[in-house]
Order: sequence, then structure tokens, then C-alpha cells
Amino acid sequence: MKGARAMSIKIALAGNPNCGKTTLFNALTGSNQFVGNWPGVTVEKKEGKLKGHKDVTIVDLPGIYSLSPYTLEEVVARNYLLEEKPDAILNIVDGTNIERNLYLSTQLMELGIPVIMAVNMLDVLEKTGDELHIKQLSQKLGCEVIGISALKGLGIKEVAEKAVGLAKSKKIGSFKHEFDLRVENVLKAIEKKIEGEIPLKERRFFAIKLLERDEKIAAQMKKVPDLSEEIKKLEEDMEDDTESIITNERYSYISSIIGSCYKKKGQGKLTVSDKLDKVLTNRYLALPIFALIMFLVYYVSVTTVGTWATDWANEGVFGEGWSLFGLTVPGIPVLVEAGLSAIGCAAWLQGLILDGIVGGVGAVLGFVPQMLILFLFLAFLEACGYMARVAFIMDRLFRKFGLSGKSFIPMLIGSGCGVPGIMASRTIESDRDRKMTIMTTTFVPCGAKLPIIALIAGALFDGAWWVAPSAYFVGIMAIICSGIILKKTQMFAGDPAPFVMELPSYHMPTVENLLRSMWERGWSFIKKAGTIILVSSIVIWFMSYFGFVDGQFRMLEDMELGNSVLALLGSSISWLFIPLGWGDWQSAVAAITGLVAKENVVGTFGILYGFAEVAEDGSEIWGTLASSMSGLAGYSFLVFNLLCAPCFAAIGAIKREMNNTKWFWFAIGYQTVFAYLVSLCVYQWGMLLTQGTFTIGTLAALLITFLFIYLLVKPYKEGSYLERKKTMELK
Amino acid sequence: MGTFIVGSILLILVGSIIKSLIKDKKQGKSIQCGDACKNCSGHCHVK
Repeated sequence: MKGARAMSIKIALAGNPNCGKTTLFNALTGSNQFVGNWPGVTVEKKEGKLKGHKDVTIVDLPGIYSLSPYTLEEVVARNYLLEEKPDAILNIVDGTNIERNLYLSTQLMELGIPVIMAVNMLDVLEKTGDELHIKQLSQKLGCEVIGISALKGLGIKEVAEKAVGLAKSKKIGSFKHEFDLRVENVLKAIEKKIEGEIPLKERRFFAIKLLERDEKIAAQMKKVPDLSEEIKKLEEDMEDDTESIITNERYSYISSIIGSCYKKKGQGKLTVSDKLDKVLTNRYLALPIFALIMFLVYYVSVTTVGTWATDWANEGVFGEGWSLFGLTVPGIPVLVEAGLSAIGCAAWLQGLILDGIVGGVGAVLGFVPQMLILFLFLAFLEACGYMARVAFIMDRLFRKFGLSGKSFIPMLIGSGCGVPGIMASRTIESDRDRKMTIMTTTFVPCGAKLPIIALIAGALFDGAWWVAPSAYFVGIMAIICSGIILKKTQMFAGDPAPFVMELPSYHMPTVENLLRSMWERGWSFIKKAGTIILVSSIVIWFMSYFGFVDGQFRMLEDMELGNSVLALLGSSISWLFIPLGWGDWQSAVAAITGLVAKENVVGTFGILYGFAEVAEDGSEIWGTLASSMSGLAGYSFLVFNLLCAPCFAAIGAIKREMNNTKWFWFAIGYQTVFAYLVSLCVYQWGMLLTQGTFTIGTLAALLITFLFIYLLVKPYKEGSYLERKKTMELK
Repeated sequence: MGTFIVGSILLILVGSIIKSLIKDKKQGKSIQCGDACKNCSGHCHVK
């Protein structure tokens, strides 16, 4: 009809975690989505327009193993498929692990939605020498099957065109799977009972789910038929519960398909991934290897390569200048100062731009090289498949104090940014474990805290090799100790949740993907510096360069900053931090501004300690800071900022995920008090051991340490009660 | 004159930054994360 708009089409991407779904999504839509190798990266669905087809939307569903209702991802994916009814499902399957992947496929084909299958990682399959007969697979399954390699871009166009064609035709495949005759008879009876409410094409799926006693599906129906007799008879007949019956039937069907379509070369031999895992996930070596790897990551990013690059940025680009092919390029402060003077700009405005904006933003941007190198390493560890193992490795340790490795996944994500880390806690089914994970996720240093780590390591410890890695391990220890202590309280007590995860094969990531991932995170950091930190720097500059002198409110000279509005505010709370070794107003203010964005801590120091002033005598760019704070006080300051309440964005995420005001304030209070006590202990013990001083602060540190040790080692009364109860029940 | 020019440029720059932060906030985006929504697994509800 003339003028009629083309109907828009929705195609859902469904598949197991780590099957290459997001890589395919990127290839189909052109968006740059982050590719991770562990469950929980995609908690909510993502959408994008198919390249070349403005009317076609691709929806990337969470990676799931089945359409059962046990995890949030499964429920989210299933609800989308049932309620929003996409025009087609593009089921992506890992060709190197096809047997496990087909379980979901058999369920997708029961939904009454047209399905096309894309068998991914064909390039990897070819290398292993295994054979997969695509045409035969298609015949057996009753749907179109296309072989692709999402990473190499092979078959993408073909699968996209076929998916669009299928969606437009709305042709549902000739589904082949039939269960045992006894099961089929029961299913037919159930379908008859629900025919009034459920449309024909969905009836089989609903019948199977009702037979499996799926409560979430039953909750979606207006009238749930009574199936107790049918279920009881079938269970007696087949001597198993209905859910297991259906599961076994599916796997029998899958085995029959695999038998005729897939030929594995070198059955029984260990793959390269298996051989690597024998070492990297070894019972005794795994944790030390993980510690060594993270040590190296932080050592190289912050202390060696990162420092060279950051020194160039801080002392060259944001300092006196740097050499480019023998020519001296003046640094930004020099250029800006010269430009502003030449144009006749007023002194106060020059001060705002140089000391405020260049000082604040420049101080943060100076650490971009270190951040980029760290992001590159983290991207490599994620993309190659190692990070997926870390959750598995940590599970053994976490289980000792009642958490599971699934709680470590948000913490791994939180090493980039705390916000998605906190969001990823949604994958944890246990409410108390989820709350504990939310509370402790931000203990792991996020990208925004890296400038603080780098600043303290560089300015106060002369780039000592141990400072940056120790910051990471302080976070890990804080998580472990918090877990042990909290699990002994009634609020968080209970058995650890079961943790099952698939370990994807190791593979060498492409340079393109690594650089893209590094740049995406780096760019967001730079953009943040140019927006929120720039605005914060201006506010901080005004508050630090304006104040009351002799009853008069005016702009202050450099030596009068102690009279500023900021100093006044800072001084009102700085006394709280005296026991921590940094009771000056500058440090107190810097810690507070860190609530807006953690990078602001560095930005604030940059403004207050004259980062933009290029010293004529050639002293180090952070020399003023180094002269006003001892190394021990600096480390205490670092520990406090690493562990205390995170930035407002992460606080907001905690509030949303806790969904309870009391729990929210408990979380923030716990983090801040924990940070305060640990920093106090670090400083006071340090003073005792290095200077031999013993003050009331030292006594407080002693008491806190003893309390801490007691909380860690005390037996859990309810735990032993539950143990006795279990023993009595067994008798 | 120089002060006026530099001041005006600065005001326009800061004004546009604040405007974009407010626009992001109204769209449900976080103003603090640097707009790396794709890495964020649904923190923001971009329309």
C-alpha cells in the first residue's frame, strides 16, 4: 500500500555463554560490545540495528544454558521470547562444544518461533580436525543451519540474510524431536487441557514446562490445569521425576544427532586448553599463579612501562615540554600560560584555567597511559579465557567462608568499573550472598582508583615495585576478611550456593579486539575527565582560591589557601583523619571530592599542590605533595580511598541493587568504617614499627587488630548448631 | 578584551558540558561513567 511503513522485524540472538554471541552481535550491528568470557557479563538484553537493514533489530539475549527458570539470565531470556515474541531466533551454537549447546536449541525450537542456527567457531573446529556435517545436522534438527566464524567474519552476511528471510516468511521449521511415547501421550493430554488459553504454536512448550513443574510458567497462566495424576503416573512408570525424564530424553535425542553428524578427532586426548588448565587451575598452583599474574599486570602497568609513559605525560605534555624528533614541544601549561598572557587575560581567569582546569584535569589525564596499559592487560586476560578460570579458582577459596566463586565474577568486572560489577551481582540467586557481594565488590580497585594508586606509588614511594600490586591485594584481602567476618553473623550465614560454570577454551584474542576494548575503556576515562572532572575542578578551584581574609571575601594568593572556603570545610572534618596520619584539610577534601569520581582525588591534589606550576628548579611534578605527606600517611590515605564508599555512580548502583534503605546505609557505613579502621591500623602499626612511637592511636590500633582477629577466628555458633542438627537428623 | 574572549569561550564550553550532563541524566544515563554504557550491562536505560 502506498505510503505504508515497512514492518519492523526483531531477531533474537540466543545461545550459551561464551559461544560468540556478542561477537556475532557486534559483527551484525556494528556496535562495539564488550566480549567477556564468563557468565554475568550480559545481564540485560542489548539491541542494535542490523547493518544494511534499518527495519531489522537484533536483540542480544543473556547467555543461557537452557530455558529453565533457575537463573535470572534464563528467566530474562525466556520472558523476552515468550512475551515479546521476536520474529525469529538466531541460535548461535559453539561448534567446538556442540553437544552441550544443543540442549538449549531443542528448547528454542519448541517455542513456536522460527529458528535458524549458526554454528560458530568453525575455524577452531577445522584446526582441531573434528568434522561437523552441517547439512545432516540441519536435516536432523529440522531447521536451517549455517556454519560461521564470528571472530573471523565468515558466514556472517549469509546468516544475517537467511535470518531476515526466515523472519519475514514466519515459517516455523519441521521440528523433529519426539520424546518417549509415554511422555508424548502425557504431553498431548496436557496440550488438550491448555488449548483454551495457550495458542497452538506455543502449546508444546507450555505443556513440557508444566510437565516439568515449572512454577514460573504456571504463574503466567490464568488457569493452571491439575496435572498431578498424569505426572504421578509417568514418574512411577519411568521411575524418575518429570524434569529428569525430559532432560534425559533431550540428551538421548542430542546424542543420536551427534552420533551421525559430528566426528571428533583424537577422542580422549587432552587439548591445549586442557593441558594449560592442568597448571593454571591446579589445586595448589592456581592461586599463586593468579597472584603472580595480577602482580605482573599492576607492576608493568603502574611501575615500569606505565611509569615511563606517565612521566612523559606528566612532565612533558602537562609539564615543561617534550621532545619530538629533536624538536621541543612545549607542555600544555606552558602553551596555555603563554597564550593567555599574550591575549591579556586577567590574572584570576588565568589562575582558573591554569591552576584549576589544567591543574585538575591535567593531573588526571597524566595517568591515561598507565590506565591504557592496565586495560590492555585486563582485556587480554578476559579475551583469552583466563579470567573465566579465576572465578573457578576463587571458588575453592571463597567456599571456605561460605561464598561461591560466582560472587567473584562481579569483583572481576568491578576491576574495570564498580558500577557494572555491582550490577553483575544480580546473577547471584542467594539474597544474602548477593548483598554481601554488593557490599564488597568495590573493594577491588576500579579503573578510576588507578590514578590514586599511581600517584601515591610515584610521588611518595618513588615508583617502588610493591606499592601498586599491594593495592590490588589489599582489596582482595578486604573481600576475603569481610566475607569471613560477615558470614559468621546471622544476617549472612548459610551454606555457599552451588557454582557450576563452563570453562571456555583458551584462544589468542585478536589485536583488533584487544585494542578496541582498551580504547573503549580509555576513551570513557578521558571523556569523564573532560566532563565531570573538569566541572568538579572548576568548583574546587573557586572554593580553594576564594575565602575570607580579615573579614573580607576575596580571591586569595597562593600562600593564603589556608583561608579558603575549601580549607574551612576541609578543616571542619580533617580532625577525623588525624589518627590515620593525614589530618590536613587538603587530604580530607581530596577524599571527599573522590565521592564525585575517584579520579577527583588526584585532580584535587593537582589543584591544591600546584600541578600546573612548572618548577624552575626542575623538581618533580608532584614534589609539593611528597613534601607534605609521609610515605606511611600516603599509604594509609591510599588504603582509605581504595576501601571506603565508592563514587556516587557506584553508590547509586548499590542503592538500586539493595532495594532497601537500611541495607543501603549498612553497606555504605560498613565500607567507610572498614576503610577507616584498616587505614588507622596501617598508619599506627607503621608508626610503631618504624618510629617506635606508642600513642593512644597505637592502643586503638592494637584493640582493633585484636577485635579483627577475634572476628576472623571465632567459631560460628549457628554453624555448629546446624552441624549438630544435621548429625542428629542423619541418626 | 582578552579576558572577555577567554571568559566567554570558557562559559560556552562549561555550559555545553553541563548541558550534555543534564541531557544524559534525563535520558537515564549516568553522568559519571564517561558514557561507557556498552561495558555496563544495563546500568543505564538508554532510550
